[in-house]
Amino acid sequence: MGLVDWARIRSPWVIHFNTGACNGCDIEIVAALTPRYDVERFGIKLVGSPRHADVLVVTGPITKQVEKRIIRIYEQMPEPKFVMAVGNCCASSGAFRNCYNVYPGLDSLIPVDVYVMGCPPKPEAIINGVVKLIEKLRGGGS
Amino acid sequence: MMLQEVIDIVKVLVFPGFLFFSILGLLYEWIDRKFYARLQNRVGPLYTGPSGFLQPFADFVKLMAKEDVVPEGAEKPIFSAVPVFALALSLFAVLFLPVYGTRGIISFEGDIVVLMVIMTLFVVLIFLGGISSASRYSEIGSERAILQLLGYEIPLVASVIGAAAVTVKANPSLSIRGIVEAQSGLWSIFGIQALGFAIFLLAAQAELERTPFDIPEAETEIVAGWMTEYSGKKLALLRLARDVELAFLCGLGATLFLGGPQPVFPGAAGTVISTVLFVVKSIVVLLILTLLRAAMSRLRIDQMVNFAWKYLMPLSILQLSLAVLIPNLLAF
Repeated sequence: MGLVDWARIRSPWVIHFNTGACNGCDIEIVAALTPRYDVERFGIKLVGSPRHADVLVVTGPITKQVEKRIIRIYEQMPEPKFVMAVGNCCASSGAFRNCYNVYPGLDSLIPVDVYVMGCPPKPEAIINGVVKLIEKLRGGGS
Repeated sequence: MMLQEVIDIVKVLVFPGFLFFSILGLLYEWIDRKFYARLQNRVGPLYTGPSGFLQPFADFVKLMAKEDVVPEGAEKPIFSAVPVFALALSLFAVLFLPVYGTRGIISFEGDIVVLMVIMTLFVVLIFLGGISSASRYSEIGSERAILQLLGYEIPLVASVIGAAAVTVKANPSLSIRGIVEAQSGLWSIFGIQALGFAIFLLAAQAELERTPFDIPEAETEIVAGWMTEYSGKKLALLRLARDVELAFLCGLGATLFLGGPQPVFPGAAGTVISTVLFVVKSIVVLLILTLLRAAMSRLRIDQMVNFAWKYLMPLSILQLSLAVLIPNLLAF
């Protein structure tokens, strides 16, 4: 494992994108950042600009409205970039399955590295998702 | 002759020059983040090196290895030059700081005025970087940076020139060396300069764009302000420049108001002790700045400029006149 891999594993910066979620997943993500779970311990930081980010965390059902925006945000991120789909809605359209205005899942638009299921998933589950992502980075299977 | 030149080059490049201050900047970022987290009842970086000590370094390496995106509409030459110039400027500024003894690598009569110019040039670079990146958020950010400069610049200059008033009694001087030598007895913070120190801290906070004056990069309003479009290597250099600037301003505060690195005794041991003294004093300044960051929330740009002109300006002029008048009155 080289120096770059070492650094990459230790400082995943996260950008959070809400595609129309009910805010349940968003609150759980915020809970992961606040004192109780404090993901800054692992070097995870929430940044505002997609240009600064490594991991795109998406919450909510992928509506037709948001299609262009999510692809644009994804393309604005510099390589190497990773995507996390948080919550049932984002991963598989959840309660909105077969709706005329909703895509079946985030992976029908952009490649997804990690799925975190739950409605909403607990902060522990989200941190576990990040751990899975880091294992994938290490090359130890996903 | 040759040996002296080699020693000078080592001084500039390694200690107490570029390498020393780059490491110090990363160290200060870690202290800042860690203390900030503790104030919020969090732990802060923990697993990257002992107690997360290497976190800023890991961030730097990661950003260096990332793709470097230049937006399509950007003014490419300026956009790419700004991070390099920012780092060069902050590394140039630290050469003026006395790390051990009473003088920095560069030291001449009136070097404080040069430092003031350098601090203003930072904001000019920020403006250029924001304007050249062809993004609405960056433009708003750089306009705010200039507006903010109008607010804090004069109090900052007045507090630093006021700090030079300690030299009035013995031999008047506008150099850092003179100020450090004049403080060999009593530090200038004990006296009227306490007000100057407070003004300096607020102005330094604004110069570094940290809460409550992080208006130019307000994350919740304008994404990341003037830095929005920077990525990869350029962002890494900008962040390093920021860290070195943080170390520079903390060191300047420690030098001007807390006595700086007083030479304890000659020889290698004396050098080590006064270097440690310098670092400890500037960490004290850093902790105060972090406390300010954690205790306050962001002001609006109009509130900031109002505050600066209504309160900070008159106070700084009062402090400057008192600092010059009192020693003269006592002399009579």
